[in-house]
Amino acid sequence: MSLLKASNITVSQDGTPILEPVSLRLEAGEPLVILGETGSGKSLLAQAIMGTLPRDLAARGQVALGDHLLDAARPVGFRALWGRQIAVLPQEPWLSLDPLMRVQSQVTEAHRLVNGKPVAEARTQASADLDRLGLTGAGHRYPHELSGGMAQRVAIAAARAGGARIVIADEPTKGLDAARRDDVADLLLAELARGGGLLVITHDLALARRIGGQMIVLRKGQVVEEGPTAAVMAAPSQAYTRELIAADPENWKPRTKQAAGSAVLTATGLAAGRGGTRLFSDVSFDLSEGEILGVTGPSGCGKSTLGGVVLGLIDAADGVVNRADGLKATAFQKLYQDPVAAFPRHRTLARTLDDVARRHGQALGRIEELLPRLGLSPALLSRRPDAVSGGELQRLALLRLLLVRPSLIFADEPTSRLDPITQKQVIDLLCETARSEGCAIMLVSHDPALVSRTADKMLSLGTTAAKVDVTAPRVVGALR
Amino acid sequence: MNVLVSRLVQAVMVAVLIGTATFVMMRSLPGDAAWRIAAGRYGYDRVDAASADAVRAELGLDGPTLPALVQWLGDLARFDFGTSLVTGQPVIKEIVHQLGATVSLALAALLLSLLIGPPLGILAGLRPGGALDRALLVASTGLKAAPQFLIALVLIVLVAVQLRWLPAAGHGEPRHFILPALTLALGLSAVNARIARDAMARIADMPYWRFAQWKGLSERQTLLRHGLRGVSVPLVTYLGLQFVTLVEGVIIVESIFGWPGIGHALVHAIFSRDVPMVQGTALMLGLGFVLINAAIDLAVNRLDPRTAS
Repeated sequence: MSLLKASNITVSQDGTPILEPVSLRLEAGEPLVILGETGSGKSLLAQAIMGTLPRDLAARGQVALGDHLLDAARPVGFRALWGRQIAVLPQEPWLSLDPLMRVQSQVTEAHRLVNGKPVAEARTQASADLDRLGLTGAGHRYPHELSGGMAQRVAIAAARAGGARIVIADEPTKGLDAARRDDVADLLLAELARGGGLLVITHDLALARRIGGQMIVLRKGQVVEEGPTAAVMAAPSQAYTRELIAADPENWKPRTKQAAGSAVLTATGLAAGRGGTRLFSDVSFDLSEGEILGVTGPSGCGKSTLGGVVLGLIDAADGVVNRADGLKATAFQKLYQDPVAAFPRHRTLARTLDDVARRHGQALGRIEELLPRLGLSPALLSRRPDAVSGGELQRLALLRLLLVRPSLIFADEPTSRLDPITQKQVIDLLCETARSEGCAIMLVSHDPALVSRTADKMLSLGTTAAKVDVTAPRVVGALR
Repeated sequence: MNVLVSRLVQAVMVAVLIGTATFVMMRSLPGDAAWRIAAGRYGYDRVDAASADAVRAELGLDGPTLPALVQWLGDLARFDFGTSLVTGQPVIKEIVHQLGATVSLALAALLLSLLIGPPLGILAGLRPGGALDRALLVASTGLKAAPQFLIALVLIVLVAVQLRWLPAAGHGEPRHFILPALTLALGLSAVNARIARDAMARIADMPYWRFAQWKGLSERQTLLRHGLRGVSVPLVTYLGLQFVTLVEGVIIVESIFGWPGIGHALVHAIFSRDVPMVQGTALMLGLGFVLINAAIDLAVNRLDPRTAS
């Protein structure tokens, strides 16, 4: 018998359907992956099954959980199942733990209050849970003293302490680098191995591949394809799924190397720190027109700080940055990670872009000329930043940079908030820009696959000494 | 430890500043100080030019300002507050006596305000935009805007004069506490209800609040285990600022209800130009402010481990 069976789940907002009927079964021991991009309705589906939809959304359909039969239209009925039948692994584990309570107490309380165990037994059990997850001795810490990965393990212990057999993980790898992503997948599979079911909602193909089991692909609230994960990923039957899988950096075709133009910048023996800690030292590289330098490394290793030094925003503790003669300070530009934060919220995009064009003496026709090249519709310009999609906004941010006629663009994780398909579009455009505008690009990413297929050369920051001018594939090999 | 050292430095600075400021202010008040002091000693009916001159000669009020200031600050450094010009008693003795009455009134008011404000604020914060939330916004804005003497008079007129439930003034019995403490508490709870409300609404919107419920905790368990402590952090932090409101209120409320506390004493000392009393009382209030803030720093460090590290 299935652990969980959901039939004809739909979600609508003010009568408009935003999720078409979806049925799914969750079997013991076999994970189920729901794959889709932002806006596909995958999180809504999960929330409808958990009874956690926001109030303005209405769900319909039945959920059968063991011998409970629940009506998705009545979310109140689900509450009694939280912690006892369904364990929800939160998206942001670090923010999901009470900052004012020691972490072991946060596991103990679920054993005691949800499972009804006596205090002493609950404590012992919580301590055993933490030991099992490799957190021995960390129980007395507060959440702010944990790393993100540790917080995730505490969260899973706390979520399951109430006795829940089904784990639902909504985007568990959001914002994680490749190594951490695999850790999370392994953690989830280990939980599955203890018995019960696992439902993973994600847009991350690498995570889906690692989790395996069954898969449902959603797009715009509709099921595109379903079947065993391995089979779907190996031979997708639908065009959309093929496109989605092709957009995975692992499956990108390596970019052909360009003949480099004249030098833009030479950095020698750079070192910098933040708050008294040395982040990197002895970093040297040079960049020429049309060249792409990939910068990788774990979070906090100083990638953005290096950008600041190269752009002349932060003073290097040591070393020199030599910018080619005749280049203005404004020729060194940055493409930000979060495009929404990089645009003034209350002005139309046209006004923002016009201002930049005028400030830098560009003909007004330049914007119209760039729009089609970046695959953007002129109609977008009359909108405000919050009324266009993240991918469009990032392309508009790139357009804004091109109005300044940059010689170097420091692209700081420019696609980490975008869906795979959009990510591929933006990266392709960035490469195209390097070629057509003859500007050098420093592309920062936590995804080694993406960088190895895009960059002409690589720079890896981190615990090991910075490697310079190593050809891309070798560094990627070393990173794995 | 750092907290205590920096607060100690602050205490010294507060003492010097308040000592100097009160000295300058008392010197620059209009009117004849000797006359006022004599009136304070012998009563307004029996004061004349001769007794005023006798006081002036005795206290050296005509002397130059600077040496007098230096002498006062020097006395302060030896913890010598001097003697009251009116009663002739050591200032410290008078203050200790009055401080007791004030502290008990202030504590009663604080306790009462904590019973009124935060519970309402938490309930409002759990349903932001609900009926209680909106009513509380109106009530607390109104109460905060109303001057405390007005609240005091309204309470006296209603409860003491019309209903005759409680005495309008007096000191000594528990029932004498109710009206002055309530007057102070209403002003305090107007603010701490808003703080509790905002903190609660913010916490109830946090991922950890939702996660606590997903773990299987009931609404009540979530509030008790993951809500109250978080709400208490800004509340306790704000107590330091509320102490200012309290001091300001104590002066007015004590005068209105005839409460023999430090606020009452300060007002009387100013009227009768009892400079050592004014200086001593203001200094006590200033140092009390530093002491309370030091205690609050320590309490917040205990409540919120993030601030300690």
